[in-house]
Amino acid sequence: MLYLKDVTIKRGLKTVFYNWSATIENSKVTIISGKNGVGKSTLLRAIAGMIPIEKGIVKNHDNEIFKDKIKWGQNLIYIDSKNGLSKDLTVFENLKTWSEMRGWKTSDNDLQKALDSVDMLNHKNLYVSQCSEGLKKRAALSRLYLSLLFDVGFWLLDEPTNELDQKSIILFNKLIQRFLENKGTILLACHELKLFNFNYELLNLDLLKKKN
Amino acid sequence: MSLQSSFIQIFISHIKREFLINFRSLVDVIAIISFMILIVTLFVLGIGPFEEKLKLISNAIFWIGLILAIIPSLEKTLQKDYDNGWLDQATTSPTPMELILLSKSLAYWLIVIIPLLISLPLFIVLLNIKLKLIPWLLISLLIGGLSISLIGIIGSALTLGAKRGNILLPILIIPLIIPILIFGVGISEAVRINESPLGNLFLLIGFTLIYLVISPFISAFLIRIAISR
Repeated sequence: MLYLKDVTIKRGLKTVFYNWSATIENSKVTIISGKNGVGKSTLLRAIAGMIPIEKGIVKNHDNEIFKDKIKWGQNLIYIDSKNGLSKDLTVFENLKTWSEMRGWKTSDNDLQKALDSVDMLNHKNLYVSQCSEGLKKRAALSRLYLSLLFDVGFWLLDEPTNELDQKSIILFNKLIQRFLENKGTILLACHELKLFNFNYELLNLDLLKKKN
Repeated sequence: MSLQSSFIQIFISHIKREFLINFRSLVDVIAIISFMILIVTLFVLGIGPFEEKLKLISNAIFWIGLILAIIPSLEKTLQKDYDNGWLDQATTSPTPMELILLSKSLAYWLIVIIPLLISLPLFIVLLNIKLKLIPWLLISLLIGGLSISLIGIIGSALTLGAKRGNILLPILIIPLIIPILIFGVGISEAVRINESPLGNLFLLIGFTLIYLVISPFISAFLIRIAISR
């Protein structure tokens, strides 16, 4: 259980969350919804450790997650609209350097399987500068497959389905299914809820913020 | 079998990544070298055919040319990875940001210094540098280049997300580079007047070591601020 208690998160001068509490169930998909600008991305970036939490605590079971940032870093994958792909490298090289950056020892075979899981194997030697937005997003999502091989507990995904076509969404659903079988927890910010064919908890920020 | 690589392995794989990116599009590297050749040529042509004048200021020209040529490319070292989200991926990974930045500055140093060393004979001819000076010039270029790239990474991190970073950056980091310039020129000058250059060399090494220690920490701190905005 990811447990946020009385958190205050600021973005610049604006206080996005003030003394705000929520719980996120483990081994489930939680979809964060709400209108534009309500703070979906801010919440995800804060949990990922990129935006400092001014006040309050975030606990995973009984451990405060930001006390041991290395351990928390091992435990999560964060993907947002920026993707984190270098333009001058190919899709394959991007995935390889990314897994090396996390310190994972992956064989080329694993990497190819990861690209295959999002149907990118045909495009693996394409430079990212030549990729369309949808291809870039798929290349970024291929990391999720790699994380299944290692002990990652959380996926924080910020609008992952925006540029995906029908077929990729099916593949994405499959990845989520596999992660849930591995007892993984998924936090997902998204507008279109009908795309998913699994059970999810809904964390509607519009409603929750009014209540507080 | 351990699935986790050691810090050294992560460090080396990072340097490989930088090499891959920079040598694939050689534009940046060629820009540095050609810019430096242009600056030096302009100086030499501006002085006119007087060997005495050139002898007095050739060392200064070399160092100023080096600094001016490197500065425009410094901004891009982090800006690209900031824009495409790679730095976000690095912050949410178990690898410490400091390690990534140290490998980044070392990789940048190698990327700049290797082509410079290749084109060094050209500068030696252009500036009429004496033979006995060349080994000292090499040493000071290697060490000075390292500290310039370490300082440059700080400046680059500082101007992340700033709108006019390319103008702000030189103003911020040139004051920090001044000691490198002074000691770098000092080494060559000492050799020219047949004095021992060791004093200046040790000071240059000292400065570089200080930056080697503090630069990754300062720039990691600055990047965290830039990302949290």
